[in-house]
Amino acid sequence: MMEKNVANTKRDGLLHPSIDKVVVIEGTHAASHAVKLARVQVIAAYPITPQTSVVEKLSEIVSDGDLDAKFIKVESEHSAMACCIGSSISGARAFTATSSQGLALMHELLHWAAGSRLPIVMVNVNRAMAPPWSIYVDHNDSLSQRDTGWLQFYAESNQEVTDTVLQAYKIAETVSLPVMINLDAFVLSHTSEPVALPKQEIVDEFLPARKASFKIDTSDPKAFGALIGPEAYMEMRYKLYRAMEDARSVIREVDRDFAEKFGRSYGGLVEEYMTEDAETVLITSATAVSTARIAVDELRSMGFPVGLMKLRVFRPFPVDEVRELAKHVRKIGVMDRNVSFGATGIIYQETKAVLYNAADRPSVFGFIAGLGGRDITPETIKEIFSYLMNHDEPESESVWVSLKTSDADQGARPFPETGAGIRRSEGVK
Amino acid sequence: MTKYKFTTVEEMPPLAFSLESTREIPTGSWRHVRPVYRDKNSPCHVTCPAGEKIPDYFELVRQKKYKEAWYKILEDNPLPGVTGRVCYHPCEGQCNRAGYDGAVAIHNIERFVADKNFKNRKLPAAVEARKSEKVAVIGSGPAGLSCAYQLSRLGYRSVIYEADHEPGGMLRYGIPDYRLPKKILDKEIKDIEALGVEIMVDSKIGDNVAWSELERYDAVFVAVGATHSRKIGAPGEDLKGVYTGIDFLKELSTGNVPKVGRQVLVLGGGNTAIDAARSALRLGKRVTVLYRRTRVEMPAVPEEIEEAEKEGVHFEFLVTPVKISGSKGKASEIELMKMQLGEPDESGRRRPVPVIGSNFSMRADTIISAIGEEPDLSFLPYSFLRKGIRLFVDDEHTTGVPGIFAGGDAATNPNGTVVNAIRAGKEAAISIHEFLGWRSRSNGVSHDAVKPEEVNTFYFPHEGRVEVPRITVQKSKTTFSEVNKTLTEEQALTEAERCFTCGTCLHCDVCMTFCPDVAISKDESGEYTIDYEHCKGCGICVNECPRGAMELVPEGAREAVEEVEHI
Repeated sequence: MMEKNVANTKRDGLLHPSIDKVVVIEGTHAASHAVKLARVQVIAAYPITPQTSVVEKLSEIVSDGDLDAKFIKVESEHSAMACCIGSSISGARAFTATSSQGLALMHELLHWAAGSRLPIVMVNVNRAMAPPWSIYVDHNDSLSQRDTGWLQFYAESNQEVTDTVLQAYKIAETVSLPVMINLDAFVLSHTSEPVALPKQEIVDEFLPARKASFKIDTSDPKAFGALIGPEAYMEMRYKLYRAMEDARSVIREVDRDFAEKFGRSYGGLVEEYMTEDAETVLITSATAVSTARIAVDELRSMGFPVGLMKLRVFRPFPVDEVRELAKHVRKIGVMDRNVSFGATGIIYQETKAVLYNAADRPSVFGFIAGLGGRDITPETIKEIFSYLMNHDEPESESVWVSLKTSDADQGARPFPETGAGIRRSEGVK
Repeated sequence: MTKYKFTTVEEMPPLAFSLESTREIPTGSWRHVRPVYRDKNSPCHVTCPAGEKIPDYFELVRQKKYKEAWYKILEDNPLPGVTGRVCYHPCEGQCNRAGYDGAVAIHNIERFVADKNFKNRKLPAAVEARKSEKVAVIGSGPAGLSCAYQLSRLGYRSVIYEADHEPGGMLRYGIPDYRLPKKILDKEIKDIEALGVEIMVDSKIGDNVAWSELERYDAVFVAVGATHSRKIGAPGEDLKGVYTGIDFLKELSTGNVPKVGRQVLVLGGGNTAIDAARSALRLGKRVTVLYRRTRVEMPAVPEEIEEAEKEGVHFEFLVTPVKISGSKGKASEIELMKMQLGEPDESGRRRPVPVIGSNFSMRADTIISAIGEEPDLSFLPYSFLRKGIRLFVDDEHTTGVPGIFAGGDAATNPNGTVVNAIRAGKEAAISIHEFLGWRSRSNGVSHDAVKPEEVNTFYFPHEGRVEVPRITVQKSKTTFSEVNKTLTEEQALTEAERCFTCGTCLHCDVCMTFCPDVAISKDESGEYTIDYEHCKGCGICVNECPRGAMELVPEGAREAVEEVEHI
């Protein structure tokens, strides 16, 4: 695909000085270009479905000699991660990409990567788990890897994909933990958007070469990740736990540093939109955030005090940010593009969990929407707000939005065009 | 690395690893098989009658060490310019690459190496000290030249007696110029002479040189070849216009173009027949080859048959001559009988059986009979053991008369090819060396070759066999200039790269890279050492080796590595 610099001379004056060029590319390639800018040294990938064009582009970049890296084509995602672990433990900057079942196959090694404290960065294109087979978006694949010790980011735009890859290496190499960057299948992965690619020299300043704090040394062979007894295992786990706790402040710092150099910021772990005087706030993640912004704008224009919190980082969970939000809103709705069978949407559970021990505990509502690529439109979001504003407490733990069912009690109702019949205000807290 | 302890969270490393070096753990004790480096034979080397060390000289070609590559071939064959052109290259038939994407064009590389050294006259020095014994060789064909050459490498002086006016035997008189230009042959013969081999031309034993003259030599090698065309056994074969294939080719190569009519019929299916047919075609005649079996049974080299066909030679199969007739003593017509294939004969080919009453006639201005050659052994003064029309020799090329050896097409088990004659000369030289009381270095070539499944083709991208440059068919059928050309350097290097180098370690480091125990190391000279204290015997190195140069042997088994040396 031709990637033309779309920045025109008239607008050039407005471009941030860090920008090398603006290209129209799909989300997968936004990741590939960032990997090149990050001067990744080893890329290992399995090239069969559900793989995406992230690594296809990278294979071209490497074979064209534009990136001095080893590109290792392996026989499964399990091996791809094993390759990343091997190269990362020898001090290299490593990358892989995968999706849905491929990520599931990696599961065992995700523990190995985090337990070995290796700063591997992976792009996961969020696709629904099979069966039934699907290549469309939802977040059950990455959320199934919740407890492996990986940081998890969810991107809203192609620009954010590029920027997050660069941030991710800096964060990962600071806290010695691997980072997974998730992007919605098709909605981001295969949709083209303008992306500003930064200048290499500024990236190099922001992200210098990796300095591994420990690495394998063939002249002094040692057993890594070897058997450890009950006398020390728990302490090793505690170290990993602490690193993840510390990652919160590192993420915020790196985002601030990034904003200084590149002129773009993503707010650290969350981004709030019109929450300052909001009574009802929706928490959601990934591309649904863009859609929710439109719905919020519309409702605001009708005079409804609604707001939005974008959950950019799921692990570590933004405990402080959510608690802070809870201090000044009356109701929180959480829209999950996933479901934990036997419980509820996963982000909904986590939100409630961090609030239980907080002093301020607004009502929290759980919504499940957009599974397996079902479209989430501004109307979907408005349905959720209609439910939120007309209920004091949730009637059930999970409201399935836009579900095709004859059960009238299940689901939310369309938002009336004029807003008639919707409770206007509960009064600011 | 920082000193870590596993007592409190603060003192622990980010990842658990052993405090002591894992070198202290002798994982080698878990092993029940051990990997060893063992160079093995390549199938081409085992198949080559002359025993050329093909993978070795290919490696030298890849390094652009063309003189060294030439020297490597010369250890086994003094005529690479000849065999690079005319050998039937059985090596390529056994090439492990054949079933992958086409056999490596070995003979074209051999020719490239020889031609690259065309101006190079200095052959390698003898491998053994000068000896006082002298050896006589009768015949300067490929067997005689090869024997005299190998004897000179072993320190002997030898004299070749050649009945004809120029040396080379069948190479000179039997192979037309378009396959083997005389300057190539002359060069390689001169190189052999430069080593001190004396060639006495116009010296026919039993004619102008008495057999008794040979008594002053310490040994004699009889390599007179098969120079007499077999008779057809049909009436009229003495008519004018009927040639034997050998006479026809010899006339041509000495510059006396024989008188040939418009319609030429060639009888026979061997290389002489094809050479005669293609030569007659070049004289502007209409040529038909008549053969009593079918195309698959033809003993000629298949490529030569294809070339003949391309150039416009016609073929009639399943016919045999009955009678040649003519007028005024000159042949004009041939009567033929149709044949059909019956049960296989002792050669394994299906026997042609006459179809009674199927006789028919063909116009024939010139008839060339090339149904086989036999040796002329009439010069021998006393009776030697014979087998059929040939001298009987054993595997050591001894005739039963002490000191008299024989080989090539005059002796038993010939296959009528140049390279087999070269092999006979080489083997006879070793036998003579031993007969004269010396012990030759072991010549025990193991015949086990690397099998296709032992090659790890993952390391070899598909790459088709080289297209050999040649002059066009339109041009080739009108000229005696050489049809096939020598590969360009670029082509030769690409083709040499295709070689799997079966069984020979090229120090590619794959074993070392893949060893999961880091138990393989490389010393300054580039040789690998396996640390058996830590090698667990997993076999990954052996499986991964691209060319089958390693193997797993049971732990505790005697490592029978026999040094295979060649003269």
